[in-house]
Amino acid sequence: MTSGKPRNLRREIEEKLADEVLRGALGRFAEAYPVARAKAYENVEDIEALRDLIRATKLATVERLEEIADKFEAEAKRRGATVFRAKDGDALKKYIVDLCLAKGVKRVVKSKSMASEEVHLNEALAAAGIHVRETDLGEWIIAIAGHRPSHMVMPAIHLNRQQVAEYFSRELKKDVAPDIPLMVQEARRTLRAEFLSADMGISGANLAIAETGSIMLVTNEGNGRLVTSLPPIHVAIVGYEKLIPTLNDAVPIMRALPRSATAQLATSYMSLISGPVPAMVKRDGQWVEATKELYIILLDNGRLAAARDEKFKQIFQCVRCASCLNVCPTYQLVGGHVYGHIYAGGIGAILTAFLNSMDDFEKFNELCIGCRKCVEVCPGRIDIPALIEELRARVVRKKGLPFTLRTAFRTVIANRRLFHSLLRAAATAQTPFKSGTVIRHLPLFFAGLTKGRSLPAIAAVPFRDRAPRLLAKPAASRGKVAFFSGCSTDFVYPETGESVCRVLQDLGYEVVFPEAQGCCGKPMLSLGDKDTVVEVAKQNIQAFEAVNPDFIVTPCPTCTETLKDGYSELLAGDPAWAERAAAIGRLTHEFTSFVASRCQAISPKPSSGKVETVTYHDSCHLSRGLGVRSEPRKLISDLADYRLAEMKDSDKCCGMAGVFGVTHTELSIPILEQKLRNIRDTGAAVVAVGCPACRMQLAGGLDQSDANIRVVHVADLIAGKVGPKPE
Amino acid sequence: MSEKWATALAEFDAGPQYFAAFAARAADAAAEIIRTKSLSEAKSALHEVLRTIGAKKVVGTNSAYERWLKMAEELTSLGIEYFTNPPDIRIHAEDADAGISTVLFGVAETGSVVQDATAIEERLVSTLPPVHIVFLDSGKIVKDTATAAQVISRHFTAGYVSFITGPSRTADIERVLTIGVHGPTRFIVLAVDETI
Repeated sequence: MTSGKPRNLRREIEEKLADEVLRGALGRFAEAYPVARAKAYENVEDIEALRDLIRATKLATVERLEEIADKFEAEAKRRGATVFRAKDGDALKKYIVDLCLAKGVKRVVKSKSMASEEVHLNEALAAAGIHVRETDLGEWIIAIAGHRPSHMVMPAIHLNRQQVAEYFSRELKKDVAPDIPLMVQEARRTLRAEFLSADMGISGANLAIAETGSIMLVTNEGNGRLVTSLPPIHVAIVGYEKLIPTLNDAVPIMRALPRSATAQLATSYMSLISGPVPAMVKRDGQWVEATKELYIILLDNGRLAAARDEKFKQIFQCVRCASCLNVCPTYQLVGGHVYGHIYAGGIGAILTAFLNSMDDFEKFNELCIGCRKCVEVCPGRIDIPALIEELRARVVRKKGLPFTLRTAFRTVIANRRLFHSLLRAAATAQTPFKSGTVIRHLPLFFAGLTKGRSLPAIAAVPFRDRAPRLLAKPAASRGKVAFFSGCSTDFVYPETGESVCRVLQDLGYEVVFPEAQGCCGKPMLSLGDKDTVVEVAKQNIQAFEAVNPDFIVTPCPTCTETLKDGYSELLAGDPAWAERAAAIGRLTHEFTSFVASRCQAISPKPSSGKVETVTYHDSCHLSRGLGVRSEPRKLISDLADYRLAEMKDSDKCCGMAGVFGVTHTELSIPILEQKLRNIRDTGAAVVAVGCPACRMQLAGGLDQSDANIRVVHVADLIAGKVGPKPE
Repeated sequence: MSEKWATALAEFDAGPQYFAAFAARAADAAAEIIRTKSLSEAKSALHEVLRTIGAKKVVGTNSAYERWLKMAEELTSLGIEYFTNPPDIRIHAEDADAGISTVLFGVAETGSVVQDATAIEERLVSTLPPVHIVFLDSGKIVKDTATAAQVISRHFTAGYVSFITGPSRTADIERVLTIGVHGPTRFIVLAVDETI
């Protein structure tokens, strides 16, 4: 929505959370989708290779997009189609309205076209006095309900049968019972008359194949074939991202799209249309065969700018399957309407920025919690969270951060001494920090208290003050490990810092703690403040170079990512720092994966005599970000002290997700509650994590509901129980 | 099947060895598969289907199978109206009880059949009536979508080609699978071993 009154996103979210129909539908779908998808991919020999192929083909296409578009246009024209390139929605609407007027078109039937919704084509046609009907059942339902689509593939997923029956009854002016097969038959009857009397059919396209100037439609209901067969004029609206060089190049998409979108091996109808085909027209009261008129509109509307953008050309890898929505923890709670425009979810936020407006992006981009679930399923391997982070950075570069945040980041976190003094002050006087304006925006553990989750206390003695006592130099050493604690371990969980040091020392390493280290910078990075992160990056690089370590080890996966890749990306263009940042990156290791290959249990028996049941939660950044899944599990299950009990959806986000847990507590808490249910169901007494942020979230939730379940870092579980593995 | 399609298909790996996989996948997609050894069995099977659905009016593309089976005479003798001219099909397809056509080949990976839908009658008989019955040569099955695309690329330069996988369906209300929205409610494949 580009116009109208300003939106109150928080209120909209609250409304969606209170909508039981929506919550029920999305909850059931979230359960069913992954299972159905996996089944649909059963007879694909190598899913990852298929995804690689789609990504590579689409990237190669966008690299020479103009050439492929020209080829498509030439081939389509050679076969008798008319091709129009619309630079934006206005150009497209004017073209189609003019065409309708010139051809005397009074009635139009449409099959699904998100591009037409993106530019509000139906409104323009209606304003020109043209009768237009959506024929996809879901699209027709939301059209008669006056809604926007809440999902790219299932536009009416937010409605139940009773609600649909009410809209049907109103539209058809008769009582329609909430019986699904019966309503489907009502729709068939009503829309059949529309197909048979239409002067023009408008379709979208799932693919546009350059070598033959063909469009491909992927549908289930059969409306696509009717729209492109019965009326004597066919208009196809094709976004540039649908272009692909050849039919053979289209194969991986033909295979992945139905499987990812609707968990089908193929949809009922997948049609390839190349040039005008015959249609029946009535002349002098007689039906005669005539060649259909075919108009293909290539729609830009921001797409070509994205194609030229080194980072955002990735959006051309999107095949519009919506699987990213189907696995998104936020989408699963609130559905698609809160995303403001017609494209929902993380990919929707990005598409909206390019195809609609940056302002709309700003309003809801923070709904992406960066859990990377979508990255795991996207057939085109788009790194949606990374693109969102990049867009945030661009917004910040252009408009700056809100004042309080900027003040906090620039004056406090970039100044390590000030930041740490404030944290120390917080330990003795926790209360002022719950309300202070500046502190409220500091790394997440300072956020306001919420119902359903306690906040951790700042430790009385931070790790940095304990370090000197702990880190005496051993006689013999396997090497020098510099410990990067991260803020949470330093100031909230110093005892985990101690566990980490104990384990590393037990393995025979010399452990040092460079005192000049500070926040890794990730909270600022995720809010788009790259400038501040450049400063803290340089401070940290210097601090670690000074101790000349063999390894840098951290118990926080987010800090690992930032040190490993974040700094070298940020400083890549700075000749004085690029190599120094890369060198730090090469030395950096995440704790559990570092020790897993280097240690073994020292006792075959449980140390306390009893075996504890432990369940392990996969942090998004540890599992999907760093690919570390088996190592922490092995560390736990190798010890006689523990029995590992897997929880359901162990790798589903806990809802903390960096600043999200703080800025959107209303969404974070329901995500947390789901996680707590899965934990409870295992009967475990202990939840082990490899991430301090997850630990904060889980401990905060369990503290309020299940005080008998404790949350610990894997390091705490294994400290004192492992020794070096013989080389 | 036109000469050109037959030639294109002959160049690629296709054969009855893929039929079982094709039939299983097609059945998963709610297609009804009837396999017959001979053309005469196919004729009896077709009559049985038409009898079961109580067909009074049928539209067809007058394909080689339909001609071989002398459908025009046969159906008339059974008291079924049978239309094969495009103008007649356009008038009668809306309230015909079944549409009959022939498809090019099947795809084992997905249980799809591939239809050359360029001619308007192909599309009318396969979209408007509630039952769509297709003849398929059971020896013309390719392994996967990639092979199907290669066959199509070899021959197809312009027109309309459809992969059909089971009947028309929707899950747009509460994700409840409902068969038969705008297209056929039943999709019946008469797979014939005997070549024509």
